[in-house]
Amino acid sequence: MNQLFQEAIIVSILAATIRTMTPLLFSAMGELITQRAGIWNMGVEGTMLTGSFAAYIAATTTGSLWLAVLAAIVAGALMGAIIAFMTATLRVDHFIAGLGLNLLAGGLTLYWFQSYIQGRAQPTFSGFQDVAIPLLSDISVIGPILFSQRALTYVALLTVPLVWFLLYRSRYGLELRCLGENPKALDVKGLSVTARQFAAVMIGSALTGLGGGFLMLGFSDRFLADFTAGRGWIVIVALIAGNWKPKGVLVAVIAFAFLESLATHLQVLGAPVPHQLLLALPYLASIGLLMGVRFRSGQPTRLGIPYKRE
Amino acid sequence: MIRFEPRTERDGLWTAASFAMAVVAGLAVSALLLASTGADVGQVFAALVQGAAGSPKALATTLVKATPIILTGLATVIAFRAQLWSIGQEGQVFAGAMGGYLGGQVLAGMPPLLFFPGVLAFGMAAGMALGWLAAQLRNRFGVNEIISTVMLNYLVIYLLSWLLQGGPWGENGATISYQQSPMLPEDAFLPALFGSNRLHAGVLLPFLAAALCAVVISRTPLGYEIRGLGYNPEALRHKGVNIARTVTIVMMASGALAALAGATELFGVAHRLRADNLVGLGYAGIIVGMIGGLRPLGTVVAGLFFGGLASGAVYMRVLGDVPASLVPAIQGITLFFFLCAGVLARYRVVRVAFQ
Repeated sequence: MNQLFQEAIIVSILAATIRTMTPLLFSAMGELITQRAGIWNMGVEGTMLTGSFAAYIAATTTGSLWLAVLAAIVAGALMGAIIAFMTATLRVDHFIAGLGLNLLAGGLTLYWFQSYIQGRAQPTFSGFQDVAIPLLSDISVIGPILFSQRALTYVALLTVPLVWFLLYRSRYGLELRCLGENPKALDVKGLSVTARQFAAVMIGSALTGLGGGFLMLGFSDRFLADFTAGRGWIVIVALIAGNWKPKGVLVAVIAFAFLESLATHLQVLGAPVPHQLLLALPYLASIGLLMGVRFRSGQPTRLGIPYKRE
Repeated sequence: MIRFEPRTERDGLWTAASFAMAVVAGLAVSALLLASTGADVGQVFAALVQGAAGSPKALATTLVKATPIILTGLATVIAFRAQLWSIGQEGQVFAGAMGGYLGGQVLAGMPPLLFFPGVLAFGMAAGMALGWLAAQLRNRFGVNEIISTVMLNYLVIYLLSWLLQGGPWGENGATISYQQSPMLPEDAFLPALFGSNRLHAGVLLPFLAAALCAVVISRTPLGYEIRGLGYNPEALRHKGVNIARTVTIVMMASGALAALAGATELFGVAHRLRADNLVGLGYAGIIVGMIGGLRPLGTVVAGLFFGGLASGAVYMRVLGDVPASLVPAIQGITLFFFLCAGVLARYRVVRVAFQ
């Protein structure tokens, strides 16, 4: 009996890990594309927040979850366009542009949100449900963990090989990595650095926005102030810890997701520690992880340095 | 056709014109934002101005609202001038209030002349500790200060949440939804100025702090090191300056200023420890400092402007149904245009004939 109970809890924690990983993974793959193109985008938090907000508005007004997904993607791409305009066109310091975007996104979404719910009960929606893959989901232990998840979770896992293929096996990826390592080479060949960075940041931010959208549609039924609660920053930590490689980033994201689901389970099981301490675990772990990270070989050489033709 | 050419030297008039355009564009987009939610734009702006400066009471509220954001703005100025992108102001505001509250318990019963400087020092010490921590993480472990300060912000906010709910500082019988400390005794309220119960003595602090920052940045060896760290850290190192030490000092000074904002909010405005009136003050300070051009005087002006906006928003809320979060939205929009104006100021617009 006791053993059955323990097994059920472990399965539940691991299943929650995979679910919690989904939004982080989308956003991290998006940010990976952006950063490999040389743009140190610190606006992940704001981009995710805007994606969540757009998904919430679309889901409650149209009732269609897939339209909400689309809204999150478009909102993310728009945020990406702002970041690209500031960093690639105007060559504002990348950190400042990102911080500015976070503050802009925080202010705008909160204002629109409060206007939206003014004078009425907050509209809610019912989000994505698990999709059990036939046969595979019946396997004991592994089935419920891996094959009974939200549909977008499977898509998120697919983005890792896709982004890997894009970066390392396609012509576009070669150019993209070149943007981060040696943009001058592209410029000398007569290829526009600005246009390519624009494209990379908008595509990357669309994925980042999708992560925010899934956070809304897969976990919640309503928007709140500071809805993303620092996940955008955890994505950046995951990128550094994963040494800017798709596989490494995946591992880092899973580690964070495991920590988060462990914390929520401990809270529900009534662990004798303040729940605030459990909630603080991912942030503590981020600091600890960054203290330990010594290898940064994967960091693009020109990351965060605006390209200027001499 | 027009073309943008980089300027070789700054032109004061063009710079002023660029930022004036940014203000106009910011107001125009804010008006669009209001219109997007169906608000009466003219009425809202009139209410904002009325609530910001329409009466002595409104002016007092403006000063009170400007006080914490000028202080967090100055915290931003000190750090950003040294190219230390600390966004720990938010957590340091919380730490300042928590440290101040602790100080209030330790120093209870002291004469006011010892009590108030004492509790403010307690608050500032808490902010300095956070700044020190972020500096050590950067100096010893190479942790980027943006990320470490964000993480520390969350840790501090959870710490306050625990202290007030489950921890030792919660109000007796407080429910989960009501996280706050008991009211401070009345002799721990910052004294009022001009007999007005709104205007607490703490409103003088940002002006003193701004003057001090201006002198330190432009007239002292430390200020030289701060500016040098921003321009050319390599040259500074070759001069024999201990960079790690300068980083630590800058981060601690920035933390102290932000924490002062939290402590004055506690003893001057809220009179009890709670999170709601502290949330966002740090982030607003980043905007105020950047819009103020990372200069103390500019920060005071920007802080007064946004303090007026916040005061106007209180008044506007009484009149109509526009949400108070209009203020951070306008702040974000204005910041965006100021960043653009900063670039525009470095260029000259040239007319070129079609070929």
